[in-house]
Amino acid sequence: MKRSMLLIGLTLLGLAQAQKTVSLVHSGAITGPTSDVGGPYAAAIEDYCKYANEQKLIPGYTLNCIVRDDQYQNPNAQRILEEALDRAKPAVYLGYATGAMLALKSLIQEVKLPAIPASAHIGLIDPPDNTYIFLPTSSYSEQVVALLEHIAREKKGAKVALVVHPSAFGRAPVEDARKAAAQLGLSIVDVQENGGSLDNTALLRNLEQKGAEYIVHQNVAGPVANILKDAKRLGLDKKIKQLGAIYTGGNDLIRLAGDAAEGYLWASSYYTLEEDTPGMRLHRELAAKNNRGTLGQSHNYTAGLLAAAIAVEAMKRAAQRFGRIDNVTFYDALVGMNGPNAFNPGFVVKTANSPEIDFTKSEQTGGEGLRVLEVKGGKFVPITQPFTSALFRKVHYGK
Amino acid sequence: MRNPWAQTGNYRTSYEQDTTIFATYREIVSVGVLLVALVLLPQFLERSQVLTLNFILIYAIAVLGLNITTGYAGLISVGQAAFMGVGAYTVALAAPYLPFYLTIPLGAAVAAVFGAIVGIPSLRVKHLYLALATLAFQEIFVWSVGRMPALAQGASIPVEMRNFLGYEIGFRNHNHFWYYVILFTLVLMVIAWRNLLRGKYGRALVAVRDNDRAADAMGMDPGRTKLMAFALGALYAGVAGGLLAYFQRSVVIEEFTLAKSVGFLAMAIVGGLGTVVGSLLGPAFIEYLRLLMERFSEWIKGNQVIQQVIPPGVDVASALLPLSFGLVIVLFLMFEPRGLYNWWRLVRSYFRTWPFKY
Amino acid sequence: MSDFFQFLISGIAVGSIYALAALGFVLIYKSSRVINFAHGQLIAIGAFVAYALVAWLKLPIALALLTAVLATGLLGFVVERVFLKRLVGQPIISVIMVTIGLASVLDGLMYLTPFGSGNFSYPAFLPQEPLRLAGITVSYPQLLAVGFTALFLLLFGWFFQRSTLGISMRAVADDQMAAMSVGVSVEKVFALAWAVAGVTAASAGMVVGTVSGLNQDSLIAIGLAVFPAVILGGLDSIPGAVVGGITIGVLQNLAAGYLNRFVPGGGTELVIPFVVLLVVLWFKPHGLFGTEEIERV
Repeated sequence: MKRSMLLIGLTLLGLAQAQKTVSLVHSGAITGPTSDVGGPYAAAIEDYCKYANEQKLIPGYTLNCIVRDDQYQNPNAQRILEEALDRAKPAVYLGYATGAMLALKSLIQEVKLPAIPASAHIGLIDPPDNTYIFLPTSSYSEQVVALLEHIAREKKGAKVALVVHPSAFGRAPVEDARKAAAQLGLSIVDVQENGGSLDNTALLRNLEQKGAEYIVHQNVAGPVANILKDAKRLGLDKKIKQLGAIYTGGNDLIRLAGDAAEGYLWASSYYTLEEDTPGMRLHRELAAKNNRGTLGQSHNYTAGLLAAAIAVEAMKRAAQRFGRIDNVTFYDALVGMNGPNAFNPGFVVKTANSPEIDFTKSEQTGGEGLRVLEVKGGKFVPITQPFTSALFRKVHYGK
Repeated sequence: MRNPWAQTGNYRTSYEQDTTIFATYREIVSVGVLLVALVLLPQFLERSQVLTLNFILIYAIAVLGLNITTGYAGLISVGQAAFMGVGAYTVALAAPYLPFYLTIPLGAAVAAVFGAIVGIPSLRVKHLYLALATLAFQEIFVWSVGRMPALAQGASIPVEMRNFLGYEIGFRNHNHFWYYVILFTLVLMVIAWRNLLRGKYGRALVAVRDNDRAADAMGMDPGRTKLMAFALGALYAGVAGGLLAYFQRSVVIEEFTLAKSVGFLAMAIVGGLGTVVGSLLGPAFIEYLRLLMERFSEWIKGNQVIQQVIPPGVDVASALLPLSFGLVIVLFLMFEPRGLYNWWRLVRSYFRTWPFKY
Repeated sequence: MSDFFQFLISGIAVGSIYALAALGFVLIYKSSRVINFAHGQLIAIGAFVAYALVAWLKLPIALALLTAVLATGLLGFVVERVFLKRLVGQPIISVIMVTIGLASVLDGLMYLTPFGSGNFSYPAFLPQEPLRLAGITVSYPQLLAVGFTALFLLLFGWFFQRSTLGISMRAVADDQMAAMSVGVSVEKVFALAWAVAGVTAASAGMVVGTVSGLNQDSLIAIGLAVFPAVILGGLDSIPGAVVGGITIGVLQNLAAGYLNRFVPGGGTELVIPFVVLLVVLWFKPHGLFGTEEIERV
């Protein structure tokens, strides 16, 4: 009798102290198209959630992570999001695909749910309906403009060709790139779409004839690897320098292209796996602990960790500042993440005059710093200091 | 006349009786009950559950169309999603100028024209070769949209409708509002389907499917019949595409790819080819299977015991969706090639003759 | 002009890969009238099995390739025995759908392993320097593709002309009933067709793997690229598969070389095979070498 009273007492005490629960929801392509990006990304979010709960990163709260596979299909993404809105009432949505995110924009605006997508399509943070969407790092457009600036520093008046993925994801930076090139005195000799041909002889020969000295890629690793290999076969690897935005590079590219990747330049905001920063130490630790194998060697794993880390940090701040975590306080905490309150988890490079991750109401990209990395001896090695694109905001927003 | 309520089978003694929509009074009543249930259902459901229903009903319309081309006329089509896309893009372009009850029929009409064009090879080839013509259209469609600035090159075109005759539509009631629109359209489309196929034209389709030369000899024009089948199938897809555009509030090319087309074929097969009931059961089954597997894979991820047993590097939770989808199709074809419709038929006949076995 | 020949040679190399993939596809169709939508998956599995043997079990490359080819052949055999055998005599659409379902099942199996969502490539076993001749360059993986295709074509030629099994396969393809009545085991022929298809698919997969690395999406895409090739050549013609495959490969390269400059954004090589497919269906519905069906009421 006494014992059962004690038990009941303990249970009641437990209930009184029960952790409140807060949810984040992620839907991404764990299987289906682009799963080589979506797999590590989702794995990282799962692992970071576990870590956040173990370390009690959000005092007084248990994090409930809903990580679902939408198989790169919009209806699934939409359903997963709306289901979460009905039941778990998430404070944040970690989205994924360009197409699905573009389609969900007006819904996200209407329900005022902060969203942090994996896609860095500039259209997501351009009006209309852009209030609640935040990109963890610079947009594809900004990366491509930064690469063009890098080219302009290397060679005045260079001739540049763009090779992009045949999708909204690939086409996103084309317009800004043209404007930026005009400002930089570069000439864009051609824009070609390439979704992965087994042979790119014709593409490369045409670009060579147009006098292209640089090829800037906005694509995924597969097609870029093929083009690099073919360039090497045709002896164009010395003649044409190739560079690309975030999804073109990383260990995936080196694994696919092998030796042909040597000399490839990659714009990335993330630290490399070997670097010694708190974020990358965490990356290595979590990937090893959760047995992630090849998934854990991808920069997309870093990207997933970063998205989850921003979400968890904003939740923590919301809890501290407002005493409750929901989409409204999350938004306030997130747009307050600047100045002295900027977030420095050590995943993304910072520049001399900007912190690692900062957001305001009008500045919806987090880490604006990026470096150009080059493949040397089968590894991406940074060859520039972290910098921010000086030109991007001017060409895109006209200011 | 015998008491119509005591009928135990079909007594059809004339052509008129053979072409009736409902064989028994019991059927009329059960369809009525089903309709009332469908009308009331959303009142008991969450918004996201209505969302799933909406997708099912939209897919049901597309599958009905596929059941004309593939189920009735026997012309395998792997381009149904592209026809849906034609409807959706037409709607997206017309939506700023016209109300939805005009844009959707317009989209359907344009889709039908495309259907007829794609069906032209059916005048000469048949069976598998024809399936590949639709495959070609599917791929050419996606490619072309990507080249058209007017269609945002496949990125999102918003299709917003916030107000219908003074009735505000927003997040709160968006799913419910479109549920009723979609349900109403579906009922119309089903009635049209039944009326079309129970008569002369439906019989011509079946005749052409089973042996087009014999049909030719009997005075039917196999070429025209097949073209009509293509156009009609595409028309249904166009309606579904238009509804999808409004319901999703935007049109994105990812909705209209080959994977989707193949998915429709799977829904038609699982439901049972050439039947209305199958067209509803197929999409419902595939969608709810996915929901179930999502839950199951979450359970696997959360279950410590299972995680211990699975060797590292093996990802059961992720593999579950494609595995279950494929297995269901394969198992259905191996063991129940007539689809869910057959189960429905068995259940129905059990109740019709109850309490007697025969 | 040297550009033209370079495009031509590259096109032949790519086309050989299509041809290699198409061979198995046509073989299945020829013997059992099944259009195999899971062919891309067979290609991918063959490539990944070879990778697993090389990278994980550290087998010598030649042995690994051979084992992978045989293993995929066995997979084809098992697929036929377990799934397709039960569907003999069912309507065409059922049989096609089964292969679509199988494709998804095989995808699922790949997602069980790290291969579903990763990029890999074989350790380099061919000379890295390409061959250069009169301004035209060919890489060794491309030569491998051409070599494999030629080899299989010769083997098939011998097999169908000389061996008893091959002749019985032709008999079944010609007329199932008649073949059965003279004692040919139709079942055995079907299973054998799938096994051989697995072998050629795996070879194609390994060639693609050496040319462009291993990624599930792009390997499966080869299965789709086969369709225009087989339609052009005729669904049931083995020389047609080779001619069709190479023609499509060459057309793609010529389109990329000469058409892309007129189309904003280029990328015509992605769509040209399907345009060809439609045109062929219009004017020569049974392909260049396909058998015209003669029907009687």
